[in-house]
Amino acid sequence: MVLVMIRTAIIFVALLIIMRLMGKRQIGEMQPFELIITLVIADLACIPMADASIPLLYGIVAVLTIFVLHEIMTLLDLKVKPLKSLISGKPSVVVNKNGIDDYQLKRNNLDVSDLIESLRTAGYFSLDSIDYAIYESNGMFSALPKQDYEKTQTSLPLVIIDNGKYDKKNLGITGLEKEFFDGILKEQGVKSEKKVLVLTADGTGKLYLQVKNEKFRTFTVNYPEGKTW
Amino acid sequence: MVKSIAAILTAIALLIGAAIFECYYVSEQFDSFGKELHTLYLKTENETANIEDAKAVQTSWEERKEHLHVWIPHNDVSRIDDYMSETVRLIGEKEYSYALANLEILIHLCSCLPETYSPALENIF
Repeated sequence: MVLVMIRTAIIFVALLIIMRLMGKRQIGEMQPFELIITLVIADLACIPMADASIPLLYGIVAVLTIFVLHEIMTLLDLKVKPLKSLISGKPSVVVNKNGIDDYQLKRNNLDVSDLIESLRTAGYFSLDSIDYAIYESNGMFSALPKQDYEKTQTSLPLVIIDNGKYDKKNLGITGLEKEFFDGILKEQGVKSEKKVLVLTADGTGKLYLQVKNEKFRTFTVNYPEGKTW
Repeated sequence: MVKSIAAILTAIALLIGAAIFECYYVSEQFDSFGKELHTLYLKTENETANIEDAKAVQTSWEERKEHLHVWIPHNDVSRIDDYMSETVRLIGEKEYSYALANLEILIHLCSCLPETYSPALENIF
């Protein structure tokens, strides 16, 4: 029985470390230790139930151990602030007034397309419609929109350059050539697309450009032959 | 907060209490049964053991195992069941040398089985 308790505690701690290392995107609405409990508790209850060679008591002891660990984790989470960030992680500001924080994105195992996807899920289709975006410790995404942000969302922005690489699929949707955007980059003083963290373009000609380690800029261009989407 | 701490302490007390009881109970049961097996072993060695002696030990095991099923995996219980039944038959047929081999295994199981549930490093991992 002591063995079951120790083994349960070891597996719990190992899973907690792995979940914390995996980052916020694996979690989704729960704290890491709550997700582990959800994953583990069903099996702990089922194995002794289905396997008649294991005493039912082993399942009960394991579930009770998980309960104790959960209560201890909840208490630590509430009462010991330094441990809170260790157990549950802390929120990351991935977009600020300078634009996307590439370092924070990488720390959370995310890329620009993941960020834009999360933004769209939260109802923000354009990167310049928000002042701040935060990945919460439970994997949820929060954003502080700019005033009258809805007026800026008139057309769907497409990612043209994502972390130094052209998105060929989106280029095809715009019906524009790579050379057109290369020209724009030159006009903006950017030597190569490899230096670009993100370039988005919407159907009205509004572009959002952020060069790596620089503040973002937005500007308007006219598309050749009056193209739009 | 108070409710949480009370729940934690109650659960820990239950777990520790059950663990101590299990440790004591399982060891005690196997210890007593081991002694009975040892007596049977000596009688078998002297070729004075008969089927009634073997059946008495088997009956004693049957009573113990009803409760042991709650605490230890049932496969471990059935391992002793198998060797015990065979030993009864061998003593009944006066095959003492084979019965001694089986009794040695049973005595060994009685001494090592409780250890497999102790919180030692080799058992944890």
